[in-house]
Amino acid sequence: MSSQAPPPLPPEISNDIPPLPMSHGGPPPIPTAAHNSPIIQASFLSKWYGNVIGLNGLNVTISEGITGIVGPNGAGKSTFFKLIIGTIKSNAGDLFVMGQRPWGNSRQLADIGFCPDYEFLPLDMTGQQYLEFLGGLHAMDKSSLDKRISEVTGIVKMTKDMNRKMGGYSKGMKQRLKIAGALLHSPKLLLLDEPLSGLDPLARRDIILLIKRLNKDYGHTIIVSSHVLHEIERMTHNIVLIYKGRAVASGEISQIRNLISQHPHNIIVEGYKMNELAKALVDKDYTVSVGYNENRFSLSVRVTRPDDFFNDMPELLEQTGSKIERMYSEDDNLESVFKYLVGW
Amino acid sequence: MSLNAYVSGILAIFKYSTRKILLNKRWVITLLMALLVAGIMGYAGSFEGDALDGGSALMDMLILSFIMPIIAMIYGASLIRNEIEDKSITQVITAPLDRSISYLGYYLSLAVSLSLIMIFINLVGWLAFFAQKGINGDALGILGAMIGLSVIGSLVYSALFQLTGTVFKRPIYFGLFFAFIWEGFIGSIPGAIGSYTIKHFIRSIGAGWIDYGELANYNAASAASAFLTLIAITMACLVMGAFIFREKEYP
Repeated sequence: MSSQAPPPLPPEISNDIPPLPMSHGGPPPIPTAAHNSPIIQASFLSKWYGNVIGLNGLNVTISEGITGIVGPNGAGKSTFFKLIIGTIKSNAGDLFVMGQRPWGNSRQLADIGFCPDYEFLPLDMTGQQYLEFLGGLHAMDKSSLDKRISEVTGIVKMTKDMNRKMGGYSKGMKQRLKIAGALLHSPKLLLLDEPLSGLDPLARRDIILLIKRLNKDYGHTIIVSSHVLHEIERMTHNIVLIYKGRAVASGEISQIRNLISQHPHNIIVEGYKMNELAKALVDKDYTVSVGYNENRFSLSVRVTRPDDFFNDMPELLEQTGSKIERMYSEDDNLESVFKYLVGW
Repeated sequence: MSLNAYVSGILAIFKYSTRKILLNKRWVITLLMALLVAGIMGYAGSFEGDALDGGSALMDMLILSFIMPIIAMIYGASLIRNEIEDKSITQVITAPLDRSISYLGYYLSLAVSLSLIMIFINLVGWLAFFAQKGINGDALGILGAMIGLSVIGSLVYSALFQLTGTVFKRPIYFGLFFAFIWEGFIGSIPGAIGSYTIKHFIRSIGAGWIDYGELANYNAASAASAFLTLIAITMACLVMGAFIFREKEYP
C-alpha cells in the first residue's frame, strides 16, 4: 500500500437539492478490487432513522491517503462511518468499501479499524487486558499479539500506562488507546470519528501528529471526521464537506476555500467611532452592506473579499480615527460555510 | 474464516463477558438471594420433620422454581441489551467475526456464569438446611440432583433471556412477566397449563433423579421428552437470537 497521499481530487460543488453529481456524471461504476480502485465509493447513499435523515443521496469517492470528512454536528459523518463498517444498513444507494459491500460482511472488518467518537471502553479493565481481548476477537495468536500490542502502544505512546485500569485514563489517553485498538490488527483502512473531540490543545496536537504519522510512516489509509475545518486542514488537504447528509464539496481544501471566499462574509467590528468607519466602508467595492448591531459600538459588515477588507482595515482606522476593540468573522463557523456552499 | 478464528473469537467474548457478569455490581443481588435462601432454609432446618423430604421440597420450591428464573432474568436480559445501550458492543460488532458466533460467545458466558451462581446458591441453601439435619449420602444425592437441574435450567433460561435482551429495548418487562407470572404463577396452577412452562420440564427431569419431596411424585412428562423439549427450546432461542443479533442495526 502506498504511504503517500494521493493527488487531490478536483473540487465538486453542489448548490441545489438533487444529489451531487460525480465528476464523470451519474453514479459511479461498481468498482472492482483492482489495485488503484477507490477505497470508498458511495453513490446516492441514503440512510434515515424514522423521520430523521442521516444521509441523503451522498455521492463520494475516497482514495488512499488521509481524507477529512468535515461537517457540522448532525451532518451525517458518523452515519457514513457506521455504514462503512456495516453496523447499519443503507436505505438506498450503493456503498462499496475496498470493492465490497459492507453490510453483513464481517470478514471485511479485518481490513478496517474503527475508532468511534463515543466512549465505550470497559473502564474496569487495564489497557493491556483490553487490547488482548481485541486481539482474541481478531484471532491473533499469543506471540504475534504480544508483539503487536507492544508496537501499537509504542506508536500511540501508551506503553507505560498499559497496566493501569482505563477508568483512570485521561480523555487523551483513552483516545490514544481507542486508536491503538483500531490499529491492532494492522488494518488497511482506519476510520477515526471526531478523534479530537473533547481534547485539550496539547492532546489535539499529539493526535494530529499521530494521524499524519500513521499515514506517512505506516501506510494506513485514514478517513478522519471533524466539525472543525482548520483541525482537518492540519492533517490533510483532501477533504469532503458533508452537510445535511450530502457531500456539498470534495477535493483540495485550498480550492474549496477559494470558493468559500467568493461568497459574502459577515464580519463583526466592535469599538469606538464606528459611525465614521461605517461611512468609509460603504465606499469600498467589496462591501455589500454595513449595519449596526444592538448598539452604536458594534457594526455588522458584509463583504465579498474578506482578505481585502482585513488588509484595508489599518488604513481605514487611521483615516477615520476609529478604534477597534474586537473584530471577528461570523463565518468562521462551519455552518455558515455550508450555507454558502448550498446557496442558502 | 477458519475454525481457529471462531474459537478464538468465542473464547475472547467468553472471557470478557464472564468477567463482566461475575464482577458486576449485581453480585450484591446474588448475595442477597443467597442470604434469603440461607435464612429460609436455615430456619426450616431448625424444625423437626423429615430432613430429606423437607430439604428436597424447599430446594425445589425456593431455588429451582423461584430464584433461578429471577437470577436468569436479571443477568440474561441485560447482557446484550446493556452493551447495546452503552455502546460497548462496538468492539464485538466491528470485529471480523460473524455476529452469530459472537452471540454464541455471549451465551456460553451467560450460561456458565449463571450455572456457577446457581451452584453457589444451591450449596448455601443445602448447607443451611442439612448442616442442622445431618449430612449423609441421600442428602448429597439431593444436592447433586439440584445442582444438575440448576445447570440444565441455566442453559435454557440463559438462551431465553439473552434472546429477550436482544429483541426488546426494555426486556425487564417481559422478564418480570415470564419469571413471576408465567413460571411462578401459571407454572403452579394444577392442570395442563402448567406443563407449558420451562419449570415443568426441568421438574420432570428432576422427578427421575430425586426420591424425596414433592418432586419425586411430580406428575411429569417423561425425562427423555422433557430433555428433548428443553433442548428444542434452547436451540430455538439461540438460533432466533443469533439471527436477530446478526441482522440488527447498531446505530
